[in-house]
Amino acid sequence: MTAYLAHFLVMVAIYAILALSLNLLIGYSGIFSLAHAAIYGIGAYASALAALNLGLGFWGGMVVAAGVGAFASALVAIPSLRVAGDYYVVASFGLQVVVLAVFMNWTDLTNGHAGLPGIPRPNLFGWVIDQPFEYVFLAAAFAVLTWAVCWRLTNSAFGRVLQAIRDDEIAAQAMGKNVVLVKIVIACISSALGAMAGSLYAHYITYINPSSFSLHESIFIATLVILGGSERLAGPIVGAFLLLAIPEVLKFMAIPDTVAAPMRQIIYGALLIVFMLVRPEGILGRARHGR
Amino acid sequence: MAAEPPILCVEGLARSFGGIQAVDACTFDVQPGVITGLIGPNGAGKTTVFNLITGFLGADQGSIRLRGRELLGLSPHRVERLGVVRTFQHLRLWNKMSVLENVLLGCDTPAGENVFSLFLRAGAVRAEEARARERAMEVLQFFGLADRAGELAEDLAYPEQKLLSMARIFATDAPVLLLDEPTSGLDSESLGRIVPMVRRLVDHGKTVLLIEHNMELISELSDQVVFLHQGRVLAAGPPAEITRDPALTEIYFGV
Amino acid sequence: MDLFLQLAATGLVVGSLYALCALGWGLIYGTTLHFHVAHGAVFTLAAYFAYAAQKFLGLPLAVAVVAAIAAAALSGLLIDLFIYQPLERRGAIRTTLFIASLGLLTLIENVLAIIFTPDPLRMDVGWLADSIQLGPVFLTRLHLVSMATAILGFLALMAFLKYSLWGQAIRAVSSSPEMARTVGIDLRRVHLLTYAVGSAISAPAGILVAMDVGVEPYRGTTFVLLASVAVIMGGIGSIPGALLGALFLALLENIGVWKIPSEWQSTISFGVFLIFIVVRPRGFFGRKIQSAEI
Repeated sequence: MTAYLAHFLVMVAIYAILALSLNLLIGYSGIFSLAHAAIYGIGAYASALAALNLGLGFWGGMVVAAGVGAFASALVAIPSLRVAGDYYVVASFGLQVVVLAVFMNWTDLTNGHAGLPGIPRPNLFGWVIDQPFEYVFLAAAFAVLTWAVCWRLTNSAFGRVLQAIRDDEIAAQAMGKNVVLVKIVIACISSALGAMAGSLYAHYITYINPSSFSLHESIFIATLVILGGSERLAGPIVGAFLLLAIPEVLKFMAIPDTVAAPMRQIIYGALLIVFMLVRPEGILGRARHGR
Repeated sequence: MAAEPPILCVEGLARSFGGIQAVDACTFDVQPGVITGLIGPNGAGKTTVFNLITGFLGADQGSIRLRGRELLGLSPHRVERLGVVRTFQHLRLWNKMSVLENVLLGCDTPAGENVFSLFLRAGAVRAEEARARERAMEVLQFFGLADRAGELAEDLAYPEQKLLSMARIFATDAPVLLLDEPTSGLDSESLGRIVPMVRRLVDHGKTVLLIEHNMELISELSDQVVFLHQGRVLAAGPPAEITRDPALTEIYFGV
Repeated sequence: MDLFLQLAATGLVVGSLYALCALGWGLIYGTTLHFHVAHGAVFTLAAYFAYAAQKFLGLPLAVAVVAAIAAAALSGLLIDLFIYQPLERRGAIRTTLFIASLGLLTLIENVLAIIFTPDPLRMDVGWLADSIQLGPVFLTRLHLVSMATAILGFLALMAFLKYSLWGQAIRAVSSSPEMARTVGIDLRRVHLLTYAVGSAISAPAGILVAMDVGVEPYRGTTFVLLASVAVIMGGIGSIPGALLGALFLALLENIGVWKIPSEWQSTISFGVFLIFIVVRPRGFFGRKIQSAEI
C-alpha cells in the first residue's frame, strides 16, 4: 500500500512540474502548446541517453535535458511566434509529431519502440536514491523548486509584462515591450522545466519508451493546467492531484482495461468542455466579474 | 528668437489599402514643446498616420524622422524605445490589471524584466522595483488617480480611464506623446479634467501630437494644427488660421 | 520513374482527401476565426455514420454515404449552435473556444472508441476496391472517385461562394464581420451555415478514407491538424489556396518517400511548414497578415 502511495505522490509531483511549466505558456502568456509531452519526452530521452552513453549521472542528465528542451522549443517558437498565436498551435503540433517520430524511428539512438531500459537512479554523493519515499522527497523538492521559479517569474516586472501581453498585446508593444522576444523566452523556460520533469521521470521509472510521450499525453497535461486554473500557481498542482486521482478511482470501479483508457479521455474531454462553458478560469481561478 | 528644429518630421508618407490611398504624400513637421493637433473629417487618415509613425503599419513610401533618426520600418516597441509613445482611441488599457500596474508597465524596470537579472541580481531588482513604484505613484498623483491605485483598470469611470491611458504613457518619459482622440466620448465636465491635463504635459516639456475631432476644442488644445483630408495635408498653421478658413470648414463639415 | 509516377499518383489521391478536409476547415476558420479542431471529430463521425447506415440500417452504399454527409453537416452545425455560440455569448476568448473544441474532439473520438472499439472496421465497398492500371500506375476505383470528389467539391464550393446569396453572405462575413453586420447580415445564421457547408465538404474525406482502409476513431485528429497546415500554407481566407496547400503537402509527403524513409514523412511536412511561415507567413494566396484593428 505504501509503495503504491509513494508512486502516486511521485507522479503527482512530476505532473505538477509539467503543469506549472505549461501554465507559464497557456495561463500567463496565453500561448497554447500541444507539444508539452514531446518536451517531456525530450527531457526523458536526453537525460537517459546522457546517462547511458556519456556516463553522466542524473544531475548532469537533467542539465542536458533542460538545454535540449529549451533548444527544441526555440526552434519552433522563433519562426511561429513572430506571426500569430494560431501558428504556434500548429507548429507545436508539428513539433509533437516530429519528436515522436524521432523517438520511434531513430532506432540507432533511441531504440525505437523497444525503449531504453537500465536508466540509473539518481546518485547524491554516493547515496543512491532508490527507496520509494526517498524518491518522493526528491520529486517533491524539484516540484517546490519549479514552483519557486514560476513564482519569481510571475511576481515581478517580467510577470507584469507577461500579463500585459496576455491582456492586450498591442498595447504592450506600444509601451515598448518586445513581445516576440518575451514569448520566445517564456517558451524556452517552460520547455526547460518540462524537460527537467522528463529527466526526473526517466531516472525514476528507469525504463522509457515513446508511448508515454504522445499527443494524448500533451492533451492530458493541458487538461491539468486548464482544470486546475491558470491564474494562481496552486492551480496546476491541484489539477495534477485531481486528474491523477481519476484513473485510480476508475480502477476501483472495476472497469475493464480496454474501456478504461478511452473512458479517462472521455472524462477529460467532458471536463474541458464543461469548464470552458461554466468556469473557464478553472478550479482555483478568480471568478470573472459579473459583466 | 531662433526657431528650434522640429522634433518629428513626416515627409511624403504614403500608404494604400487594396486600392484605396489612405495616406498620400503626407508631409508635416511637429515642433518640440508644443501641442500639434491633427484634424480632418472622418476617414481622413489620421489614425493611419499614427499607426504609420508608431510602426504598427508599414508605409509604402516616405520618411518619418525623430530628431533625424528614421523611424520607418521599425517595430512598435523600437519606436517607443526611441521616444515616441501613443494612446489608442479604444484605450487598450490592461483591464484585468490594477491602475498602479498599468502605470508601472510604463516605468523603467529593465532588471526586473530580464530573466537573468531577475534570478541573479535580486537586490538590484528589488531596489529598482521600489523606485518604479515610487515614480508610478508620483505619476498617478500628477493625474489625480492616486487614490484609485489598487483598483482594476476596468472598474474606473470612463474619464478616469482616459486619464490612466495618458498617465501610463507619461510614465515612460518619452519626449513625444501621440494622443488618439483624448477628448472623445467625454461630457463637458470631464473635459474640464482632461484638457488642462494635456496642457500640463507640455508644461513638463513634452511634445504632444493629438488627433482631435472637436473643432471648438482645437483652438484651446493646440498651438499648431495640421489639416488632413483624404490622406493629404491641406493646410498647416496656427489654429486661428485654420478654423477661420471657409474652404477648410466646408471640407470638414462636408457642406 | 515508374516508382515516381506511382508515388505522385498516391500523392494526388491523398492530396484529394487532405483537400476536402482543408476546404471545409479553411472555410470555417476563414469565416469564424474559430480554431475548430473538433472538425476532426466531424470527419470521423461521417465515417461512422456511413458505416452504421450500411451495416445496421442495411442501406445501399450510395445512400449511406449521402445520409452520412447530411448527418455530418448537421453535427458541425450543432457544435456551433450548442458549444461555440454560447461560449461567444459569454465573452470567451479564442483560446477558451479552442480548448472546448479540443475537449469535444477528445470526447467524441473516445466515445466512438468505446462503442465501436478502437480497431478499424471494414466497409463493404464492392467494385470500388477493384484496381485499375493507368500506364505504370496502379490505383483503385475508389482512389479515382476520391480525386473526382475533391475536384467536384472544390468547384461546387467556389460556385456556391460566388453565385449564391448565402455564399456571398459567407464571403462578406469572412472579409469583415463588422461590415457584414452593418449591412444587416445575421452573423449567427451565417456561422451555422458555414459550419454545415464546411462539415459537408469534409465529410466525404472521412468516408472515403474509411472505405479505403477502414473506420477508425482517432484518424480525425491527424487529418484536421494537417488540414490546418494546408490552409496556412495555402493562405488563410483563400479556398484555392487550401486546395493547393493540401495537394502540395500530400505530394511532398508521398514523393518524399522516394528518397527519404517513410517514417520521416511527417518530419518533412512540418519542416516545410516551419520554413514556410518564416519565409512567407501569409501562404500562397493569403491576405497580408494585418495587426488587429488598432
